Amino acid sequence: VPSHVTDDLAATEIALDHDELRERMSGNLCRCGAHNGIVDAIAEVYAGSGA
Amino acid sequence: VIELAYTRAADAADAIRRAEGDNAKYLGGGTNLVDLMRENVEIPSALVDVTGLSAAIEDTGDGGLMIGAATRNTAVAEHRAVRTRYPMLTRAIVAGASAQIRNMATVGGNLLQRTRCTYFYDTEGARCNKRSPGEGCDAIEGFNRNHAILGASPACVATHPSDMCVALAALDAVVHLRGAARERTVALCDLHRLPEDHPDVETALEPGELITAVQLPSSDLAAHSTYRKVRDRSSYPFALVSVAAALELDGDAVADVRIALGGVAPKPWRAWRAEEALRGRPATVATFVEAADAELADARPLAGNAFKVELARRTLAAVLQQLTDGARR
Repeated sequence: VPSHVTDDLAATEIALDHDELRERMSGNLCRCGAHNGIVDAIAEVYAGSGA
Repeated sequence: VIELAYTRAADAADAIRRAEGDNAKYLGGGTNLVDLMRENVEIPSALVDVTGLSAAIEDTGDGGLMIGAATRNTAVAEHRAVRTRYPMLTRAIVAGASAQIRNMATVGGNLLQRTRCTYFYDTEGARCNKRSPGEGCDAIEGFNRNHAILGASPACVATHPSDMCVALAALDAVVHLRGAARERTVALCDLHRLPEDHPDVETALEPGELITAVQLPSSDLAAHSTYRKVRDRSSYPFALVSVAAALELDGDAVADVRIALGGVAPKPWRAWRAEEALRGRPATVATFVEAADAELADARPLAGNAFKVELARRTLAAVLQQLTDGARR
């Protein structure tokens, strides 16, 4: 699913970079003060998942 | 305890039959109606769940799409034909609410969601002509930063909150309706009405009528379209101003254009005057600003929202420039 920050809507693969992760966290996690750490943690787990 | 009957409709005819008589409401994802019930703004005696009705997105055979009213907003946004042929619609949907809400919310429900004017929700402390006709409006002299600059009336200055509907207005979408006696269609641009003396009557729907589908007509223009939403935070809030636009160039001139504005009016605001001011004219910033001025000539800002006039002017000009740059690339 494309998000609000996805440039190319026609893309079949959307790279989950910093901005995509932040946008996709919206509605899921309270990001007050801790969001940089949460983004790093998601990126680390995602990179390690082989996805 | 407020008694409430809940049933699930098997099909459109069944839904219409179940909603007959008492104060029944059709229930889609419930992302707005359930909130309104919690706040005692809406007090239906029966809910007819219509999420089991058509959620199909199908080609109409002439280059358009037919979207079942029970389709979830996310399913519309991610559909490949929508992403490639009507990108402004995907962009409008993903600009709204959160992923969870978009996953629940239906297309039909999005069309019929109600204003987020805080006075409308404040059943204990505020007067509202939309909630209690004839009572008065506390927004007009109140905190009205988020309210309308176009199309409002002395009775009501609330805005229509939808992002999706702004794109649908620009795309000339057609709404399919079914009632007990007949089926009919109405243009999205004619579905919502302006408040005038009756802000409690928000749409052209007849009592008991059900939205069954939204049709997107074929459009070459729509492939070159986008949606830009300006809001207080970049995620989750409603629009202060939004612009849905599609643009096609002929050399250095505007061949054709479609524009609708959100966050500025009681309904998704099709910018007919701006479109008229653009067709055949040179695709320059000067033309874009002139077109925005033509559309905003009748703007009547309130004490708290004069900024929206300038914001709408600049956002519209910027979106048209973006589409022009994209067409030349």
